[in-house]
Amino acid sequence: MHIPDGFLDLWVAAVCALLAVGTLTYATRRVNGELTDARAPVLGIVAAGLFAAQMLNWPIPGGTSAHFVGGAFAAILLGPHLGALCVATVVTIQALVFGDGGLVVLGANVLNMAVVEVYVGYGVYRLLAGHNEFVAAFGAGWLGITAGALAAGLQLGVSEAFAYELVTTLSIMGAGHLALGLIEGAITAVVYRYVADARPDIFPGTPRREVSA
Amino acid sequence: MSVAGEGWHSEWVRRGLLALAGIVAVSPVFAWAARRVGYAEPLENAAEHTGAVAHEVTYSAGLLPDYTVPGIDPLLGTLVSAAVGTALTLLVVTAMARILAE
Repeated sequence: MHIPDGFLDLWVAAVCALLAVGTLTYATRRVNGELTDARAPVLGIVAAGLFAAQMLNWPIPGGTSAHFVGGAFAAILLGPHLGALCVATVVTIQALVFGDGGLVVLGANVLNMAVVEVYVGYGVYRLLAGHNEFVAAFGAGWLGITAGALAAGLQLGVSEAFAYELVTTLSIMGAGHLALGLIEGAITAVVYRYVADARPDIFPGTPRREVSA
Repeated sequence: MSVAGEGWHSEWVRRGLLALAGIVAVSPVFAWAARRVGYAEPLENAAEHTGAVAHEVTYSAGLLPDYTVPGIDPLLGTLVSAAVGTALTLLVVTAMARILAE
């Protein structure tokens, strides 16, 4: 889902960059004072895990592949604001060091994967967690990545390079990731279950947080 | 909130580092398998369908372009890229978190 340079009109890239910077600034202010120095390496581990997991392309017969993006998982585990900051760092490193995603469109990629996917995923999780946390984690991963893909489809569809074929870009990006997102949802739910069983008190903003060790 | 004492963090970090090393170690296997199916992502399909491919430009390929190391075997390059990217992300986010914690 990493958009390369040349695919988006400059005004689209600029609007996306403004939205991404604005949201991440807000996220930084919200987490200010919530973190302890001892917890800092945990964030590093989670973010590094997202990067490493994205290296694992699961081949799907028929000519496609899927990899875990982890935006919704980061939001559930760390809270949406820290999750957004972690994913934004991963996306930025991917662009600067590995050329995965363009530089001019970096704001758009951050917006899609670190903002839309993270906050939509977290919203879905919070909406469903009261009924079934496992299903909520699955839905968060599945719908979070689909929302991020639709955001990318919208940006591409209003750009000249894609001949303003908005319906085409939205349908290909939306349908493609709605299907691939099932894998994202499954991995999110399984890893969530593992972490929830191992450290139920680590999750912020949920009743699990009140469990003492 | 009654989150347990900070002692669990070090155990969490130890386990996390082990898991990261494991993921990095298997990354070339996944790279090989993905290449075998000749994969394309939805974004590439949309670009192909609308003719946008011709508009793609590369202003910077990065130090390790497309998760490879120029001049060495692509699968070994994937392993090096996974290790470098994972370590770099760990360092940058830990530093960022420490700054936010102050």
